[in-house]
Amino acid sequence: MIRLVPNHALKIVRSAPVVFTFDGQSVEGHAGENLAGALLRAGRLHLRNAPANGGPRGAFCCMGLCQECTVRIDGQVVEACRTEVTQGLAVERAG
Amino acid sequence: MIYDTAIIGGGIMGCGSALRLAQGGQRVIVLDQGDLGQGASGVNAGTLSLQIKRVKLMPYALKGHACWEAMGKAVGFAKTGGYTLAFNAREAALLQERQTLKAQAGAPIEFVSNNQLRNGEPNLTQQVVSASYCAEDGYANASLTGQYYLGKLRDAGIEYRERCEVTAIERDKNFKLTTPQGTINATRILLAAGAWLKPLAALMDVHLPVQARVNTVTVTERMPPLMSTVIGHATGLLTMKQKANGTLLIGGGWQGLGTPQEGRGRVSVDTVRPNLALAQYAVPALGTARILRSWTGFEANVPDFYPLAGVLPGVEGAYVLGCVRGGYTIGPYISQLMGDYILGREPELPLFDPGRDFKEGTI
Amino acid sequence: MSDRFDIIVVGGGPSGARAALAASAQGLNVALIDEQSAIGGQVWRAKNASILSAPKTHETRAGDALRRDVLASDITHIEGARVWQIETGWTLHVLRKDVSSELTCKSLVLATGAREYVQPVPGWTTSGVLGLAGATALFKQSLTPPGKRTIVSGTGPLVFFVASEIRRLGGEVAAVVTPNSRRDWMRALPSMLGRPALLMRGAIWVADLMLAGVPIYWQRVVTDVSGDDQVRGVSIAKLDQNWARTSEDIMLAADSLCLGNGLIPNIEAAHMLGVPIRHDHALGGWIPETTEDGGTSIDRLYLCGDGTGIRGAEAAAHQGTLTGLCAAADLGHGTVNLQKQAKAKWLKSARFGMTMTALSIPRVGQAQLTTPETIVCRCENVTRATIEAELNAGAQSSNAIKSGSRAGMGPCGGKFCATAIAQLIAQQSGAPVANIPPATPRPPLRPVPLSIAAGSFDYDALPIPKPAPL
Repeated sequence: MIRLVPNHALKIVRSAPVVFTFDGQSVEGHAGENLAGALLRAGRLHLRNAPANGGPRGAFCCMGLCQECTVRIDGQVVEACRTEVTQGLAVERAG
Repeated sequence: MIYDTAIIGGGIMGCGSALRLAQGGQRVIVLDQGDLGQGASGVNAGTLSLQIKRVKLMPYALKGHACWEAMGKAVGFAKTGGYTLAFNAREAALLQERQTLKAQAGAPIEFVSNNQLRNGEPNLTQQVVSASYCAEDGYANASLTGQYYLGKLRDAGIEYRERCEVTAIERDKNFKLTTPQGTINATRILLAAGAWLKPLAALMDVHLPVQARVNTVTVTERMPPLMSTVIGHATGLLTMKQKANGTLLIGGGWQGLGTPQEGRGRVSVDTVRPNLALAQYAVPALGTARILRSWTGFEANVPDFYPLAGVLPGVEGAYVLGCVRGGYTIGPYISQLMGDYILGREPELPLFDPGRDFKEGTI
Repeated sequence: MSDRFDIIVVGGGPSGARAALAASAQGLNVALIDEQSAIGGQVWRAKNASILSAPKTHETRAGDALRRDVLASDITHIEGARVWQIETGWTLHVLRKDVSSELTCKSLVLATGAREYVQPVPGWTTSGVLGLAGATALFKQSLTPPGKRTIVSGTGPLVFFVASEIRRLGGEVAAVVTPNSRRDWMRALPSMLGRPALLMRGAIWVADLMLAGVPIYWQRVVTDVSGDDQVRGVSIAKLDQNWARTSEDIMLAADSLCLGNGLIPNIEAAHMLGVPIRHDHALGGWIPETTEDGGTSIDRLYLCGDGTGIRGAEAAAHQGTLTGLCAAADLGHGTVNLQKQAKAKWLKSARFGMTMTALSIPRVGQAQLTTPETIVCRCENVTRATIEAELNAGAQSSNAIKSGSRAGMGPCGGKFCATAIAQLIAQQSGAPVANIPPATPRPPLRPVPLSIAAGSFDYDALPIPKPAPL
C-alpha cells in the first residue's frame, strides 16, 4: 500500500532496557525515558485512583500540568510524565 | 422601597446579623462588594479552638462553638479535640500561664502527659516538652461559609446583592447607599465589612482605627492519615488539621503582603516557609505532602484587639460589627447579639462600644 | 544559586527562547528557565535520552535549530527547573533536582505557553484517553504511539497532525473525528495559501489517511468513551453548525483515544502577579493585557508567546524576539529598527495563526456534550450535576463554585476545568463567558513538596513574633 507518511517505528533506536516495578510487578523501560511513556508502552495505564469514587486515572496532558499521572515513589507523589525511569525504581499507584 | 436595615458586608457578621434581624421582623438587605462569604469568613483556616481565644472573649467563644456545632455538616463542622504544643522550656512556661487563665475563663483545657499525647497523635515529633488539650476544639470548612449563608438568606427570604460595592452613603431622613446596582434606601445601616470597615466608615466621615492583618493559609494534597485533632503551637504561630478528605490545612497567622485598599493580599514566601517548617517540625511525615495552594485573608482589628460591636460613633441609626479577634469562631454568636441590639433587645452578653478610647489593652 | 540576572525568561518554547536570544544578543545577562530538560517547548519538544537515534521530522529540525542557537549564545539555560513562586521585584523560587533556590533579575519575561482544552464528555477520565496536545508531547519525547488502534478526535490542524504521527510511529488510526466541517476548512484556505509549505504538509496528512482507508468523520464529535481502566470504544454523533448534536450516536472500537478542543493560554503566573486579564475568543479565551511589544501594567514584566493568546509557534517566536528586544531596550540596550522588523513578522504570522485558532473556538452547542453525570473537575471528581446544584443554590462565580463544590481545588489548580465551569455559569446565568473570569489563581504555580518549600531550618532560628494578646 502507498504510504505518504512513512512508518518510522523500526528506525527508532532506544537505549538499553532497565527494569523497574509498578505496584510490585516488573515493567521494562529504557534508560532516559519517563515513567509515563514506559508504563504506557507496557500497557499500564491506570496510574492512580481518583478521590471519592476511586476511578482509574492515567496520563492525560503529558506535560506536567494535569496531575493525573501521579504515582508514589518512596512515599513522595510525583508526576510520572516528569520522572525518569531508572533500574530498580519502585513505583506505586497513588491515591 | 426603604429597608429597615441595610447591611454592608456579606460575611458571617453581616449574614448572621441579617438572619437575626429578619427573625425579629425587619426587612433587611445584605450588600457585598464581592460574593457572599468569600472574604475573611471564607478564606480563613477554619480553626475552632478555645485554646487560642482571648480570655475576655471566652464566654463568646464558648457560645460560638455551640453555634458551629449546631450548623454541623453544612459547614463541615468537626469536633476533634485539639493539642497545643510547646517545644522548649520558654514555650512551656508561656503555655502554662496562658492556658491556666483560659481554663479559669471557662475553657475545658487540661495539660496532658507525654503518653496521652502520643496515644492521641502518634505522628507528632518527639520534641514536645509540654502540651495542653481541649476536647471542645475542632474546625469547620471555611470555604463552605458562602454557600451556607447564601442558603440561609434565601430560606429566610432575605434580599442580597453580590458584586455590589457601596461607594457613597448619604444621610437625610434615611440612609441612601450608592451602588453599581442602584441606590439602596434604609432606615438603619450596619457596617460589617471586615477589613474594609475603615474606608466604609470614612464615607460618613467617621474614623475607625481599623488595621488589617494579612493572614496566610496553605493547603496540601490529600495524604494518608497523619493527625486526627487540631494541632497548635504555644505561640499561636501554627494551627493545622487534616480534613476528612485527607488534605491538610496549615495556618498560624503568618503575614502576607498587600492591603484591603489594593483589593487583594499576596502570599510572601518569607513567611510561608517558616510556617511550613514549623508544621513539619511538629509532624515530620508532612515533609512529603505537596503544597497545592497558599492564600491570604484580611483580618481586621483595632489597637486593643477587642471587637467593634455597637453604634457607629456620631451617626444615629448606623451600627458597626467587626474586628472580632477569633471572628470566625465568635461571628455566628456575636452577630446574634448585634441583631438583638438593633432590634432594641438586651443582648445576652455585653457588646463592645466602637466609640471607646482605643488605648492598647483597654476596654 | 542567588545570581542576579538582567533578564530571566520563564519558558523555553519558541517564544521564550527567542526572547532570551534577542536580549542576550544585546549584551544582557540572560537566564532561560524551563521545566523540560531541553529547549523547544511543547511544539518543538526534544526527544528524551532513551532515543539514541530516529529519523528527523519537521518538528525535530525546527527544535534542533532553536537548541543550537541557545547553545551558541551566552544565555544561562536552567533546564529541568520549575518556577513555583514569583515575587515582584523579581525573585523567582525555582525547584530543581529536589532543591529550591532563588534567582533574581531586573526584568522578567514570562513565556508560559498554552495548555489544552478538552470539553468534558462521559468517560473522558478513562485511563488511556490522552489530550490531543498531550499525545504530541508523548510522541515527541518518547516516540511512542498511544495504543495499538487509536481514535483521534479534535479541532483544527492538530487532529490531523496527531493522526499522522500515530501512523509514522507504527500505530493504527481507527478513525479521525473532527467537529470542523470541510466548509470550515474552505474558509481558512485563503489564509493558508500564503503558507504553501504548511498547506502541503496538511494535505499529505489527510491524503495519507485517506489512502490508508482511515475514516474521517467531519462535523462529528466524541460523545461518550466506554471502558474503565482502558478505552474500549467511543460513541460519535453528528453536529450542526453550532456544534449541537443532531444525530444518534454510532459506536467505534479502539483501545485508545486522543481528544482535544483547542489550546488555551497559560495565564496563571501573570494573573497572580496582578496583570489584568480579558477574554478574547479569537485568542483562545482569557489572556493577560499586554502592549504589542509584550509590556504589561507592571514595571519590568513582559509577556510573550501563546500565553498571551494562541497565535501558533511561528508567531510566538517572532513575538518572543520582539519582546526580548523591548525588554532589553528598557534596560538601555538595543535599537528600534530590529523591533520594527520583528513586529512586522509577528503581526503577519499572527494573522495566519489566528486563522488556525479560529477553527477551535468553542461554539454554543459544545457545552451540551458535558452531561449531568460527566466529571468536570478531574482532580476532585466533581460532576456537572454537582456544579449545577451549586449554581441553583445561588453561586454565580467561579470562586463561589470552587468554594462550594471543590471544583478547581485539586492539584492541577483548576487548569483543566475552569473553561467548562465558566460555560456552565454562563449557560445558567445568561451572561457571556467574557463576564465570568476564572477563580483567583493561588500560588504555588506547581505543586511543591512541603519539605522543599520549607527548606532546611533550625528551630531555634525560627522567627517567632510576639504572641497574640492574651
